[in-house]
Amino acid sequence: MPHRWGMAADLDRCNGCGACVVACAAENNISTVGAEQAALGRAKHWIRVERYWEGEFPDVRLKFRPVMCQQCDNAPCEPVCPTYASHHTDDGLNAQVYNRCIGTRYCANACPYNVRFFDFFNPSWEKPLQLQLNPDVSLREVGVMEKCTFCVQRIKAVTVQVAAEDRELKDGEITPACVQSCAAKALVFGDLNDPESEVSRLSHSPRGSKLLEDLGTLPKVTYLPRDTEA
Amino acid sequence: MKAIYGLYTHGASAQSAVDRLRAAGVADKDITVLSPEPREDLALSHMHSRTYMWHFACLGGVIGFSAATALAYISETSWPLNVGGLPVVAWWPNLIIMFELTMLGAIVATIITLIVSAGLGVTRRGIYDPEVTSGSILVGVENPPDSSVDAFEQALSAPPGARVKKI
Amino acid sequence: MSTSSPALPASEQVRSDLLRPLLQTSWKFYVLVAFLGAIVVAALAAWVTQMTLGFGISGIRWPVYWGFYVTNFVFWIGISHAGTLISAILRLVNAGWRRPVTRCAEVITAFALIIGAMFPLIHLGRPWLAFWLFPYPSERMIWPNFRSPLVWDFFAINTYLTGSLLFLFLPMLPDFAIVRDRATGMRRRIYGVLALGWRGTPTQWHRLETAMQIMAVAIIPVAVSVHTIVSFDFSMAPVPMWQTTIFGPYFVAGAIFSGIAGLIIAMAILRRVLHLERYLHPVHFQNLGKLMLVMALLWGYFVFNERLVTYYGNGASEMQVFWRTQRLTFAPLYWTMVVCNFVLPLVIMGISRFRTITGCVIASIGVVIGMWLERFLIIVPSLGHKYLPYSFGTYSPQPVEIVITVGTFAAMTLLYVLFAKFVPIISIWELTAVQHPSPALIPPATAEHPLGETHA
Repeated sequence: MPHRWGMAADLDRCNGCGACVVACAAENNISTVGAEQAALGRAKHWIRVERYWEGEFPDVRLKFRPVMCQQCDNAPCEPVCPTYASHHTDDGLNAQVYNRCIGTRYCANACPYNVRFFDFFNPSWEKPLQLQLNPDVSLREVGVMEKCTFCVQRIKAVTVQVAAEDRELKDGEITPACVQSCAAKALVFGDLNDPESEVSRLSHSPRGSKLLEDLGTLPKVTYLPRDTEA
Repeated sequence: MKAIYGLYTHGASAQSAVDRLRAAGVADKDITVLSPEPREDLALSHMHSRTYMWHFACLGGVIGFSAATALAYISETSWPLNVGGLPVVAWWPNLIIMFELTMLGAIVATIITLIVSAGLGVTRRGIYDPEVTSGSILVGVENPPDSSVDAFEQALSAPPGARVKKI
Repeated sequence: MSTSSPALPASEQVRSDLLRPLLQTSWKFYVLVAFLGAIVVAALAAWVTQMTLGFGISGIRWPVYWGFYVTNFVFWIGISHAGTLISAILRLVNAGWRRPVTRCAEVITAFALIIGAMFPLIHLGRPWLAFWLFPYPSERMIWPNFRSPLVWDFFAINTYLTGSLLFLFLPMLPDFAIVRDRATGMRRRIYGVLALGWRGTPTQWHRLETAMQIMAVAIIPVAVSVHTIVSFDFSMAPVPMWQTTIFGPYFVAGAIFSGIAGLIIAMAILRRVLHLERYLHPVHFQNLGKLMLVMALLWGYFVFNERLVTYYGNGASEMQVFWRTQRLTFAPLYWTMVVCNFVLPLVIMGISRFRTITGCVIASIGVVIGMWLERFLIIVPSLGHKYLPYSFGTYSPQPVEIVITVGTFAAMTLLYVLFAKFVPIISIWELTAVQHPSPALIPPATAEHPLGETHA
């Protein structure tokens, strides 16, 4: 049976530190755009920590929600792409093929989660950030759409290794950068087709819910919200 | 090319010239009529009004439809990618492509039929006189047999206002 | 719609009046062409700059990824519905008053479509790869995705553009022959080629008119499909206030609406500049004005439907966009649009005393502005307010977008001016043919018209 990659985010654990955001940018060669462009809304955060306040002052509570590509099974971004840059892989990922992208930005408009980012300029890094580029991840030129891949380069590296060693994949063997860097262990990644995996267990948790579930996009990221006060 | 023709400012005169040529034994297909605008009010306009243009347009539509169906089906099955959970051969979206190419086929077929059947695009052959585009109707016969030139000239110059030319 | 038509001048007069712009050129023409050309060059330079420096010099940003360019795309494709569609309908019903109007209208279609079709290229991140939309077996072994509305656009616009250009070109053949026979030298040779050896035999006339009938029948559904598919670009995406089945007819109605407005403006300018007072009569403007009044009512009806259903459904994200346009940030633009598209045409076109040429032009300018705003208000507020409040955003156009937008209006005018310079802007043969109506086209006598109405 093919793998079906999924993630779970335990919002009870997330403290909004932002380590996942930094790790993601480092792992995936996400170019920095500078303060001016970031203020315009051109910053690229494949994963972002959304911050919401609840309640009336002074009785306010802060809530965090890490949002990345939800790798929907019914992804609105895919069919609208004229060149198949955005399509579904056999293991359930929303692939984004940069070389095929011509930059219509239609996928980003169709995405209800706004997790797709456009390269408005050719990539550049403030020194010395260019020294830590990841050789496993391709750079994106101007005019291309990019987004969270669940660190597909790591998934591939491990599955190839596992196949070479002719053994079963162990749960937790693959860790995307955000999962790896999460000190509070709020993010869990794994195979949803493996009923024993932790992500499978969490995704069937009664606490679990999907983001904008009623749109029918069938996301593969499960959010476990804080238990509200009983 | 030899030819004899008359120029007429009035439709009735031109019609009369055509009728006289017919009476002189010229077949319809040998009579050349040129008019500055469509003259459907005159019988001479209806000499060659049978056309299969509508049929060819429909044929073009069928060809366009088939081409679109084949294009959509073959390209989708030869490059079968899952997008958004839609079927690989998704007929609802394909209907749009099929419709557009049907219409394109009909339009192109119409144009080709027009160009071929109206003899367009070829270097100008046959009688022509620039006075036609200034408002005169031309009625004439190309390569008239020498024996009947006089009879044709008589026929062409009989209607009022006729100006007969020979080349 | 009135089928009566005012008397037209005699054939010889028609020919000399309508050929005058081709044969005489004043210095004003060169000044105008240079002025418009400079703006077009500036717009092209802006586009090249955008490609060189990066798309970031535009105002597009996360999450509003479509802005002025797509607004212009929808707007110009809408304007293109002026011509071919209106002219095809008028030809099919054989409305006599159409004759001086059809070509001015069809030209708008051809040029507005070319300009509109530029925008999907201008707005592309990597426009140099746009040819990947062509369905050809490339070395990449990848076909385009026929499930993408953008590919539907590609097919629809290409079909419409091909059809419209041919629809415009066919009735020009006899007119090219007229110019050919009166011109000398180089010009004679060029028009001779363009006329495709037109002579004017009964066969040619009959085939030409049959072809025009078929083209008219084919082009009407294509025109409807084009703007429906443009609306699909929006309604296929799960974006608040986009995903609605009303968009197809709503967009088509809006397109015809703005198209008529564009046509009225073009006709008024032609009438003034080329002294066509004897051909473009107040009755033409009145008839088109009445048509525009109907479309204004239809537009209002669609907007009311769209708004009421959203309001009643009371979905959280839809209401965000709803109030954003109705009362908040975009309210000034929204209410300007309502005034321009509904109040203004209703008042001016609804009261017969105001339905003069000036009145029609004022209402049309309002409609053109209003319809541009309508497209902007469909695109930007929705994209800025999709679902997650954290990702709300806004958009403001940057100089490059404004220059290109202004440039397209200049390009439209320039192309129109050049066309009117080289081709009789009113079909000469169709006007002279008025004096010889086909008996088949004369309707039987009625009590109102005891002699039978002449379809002049």
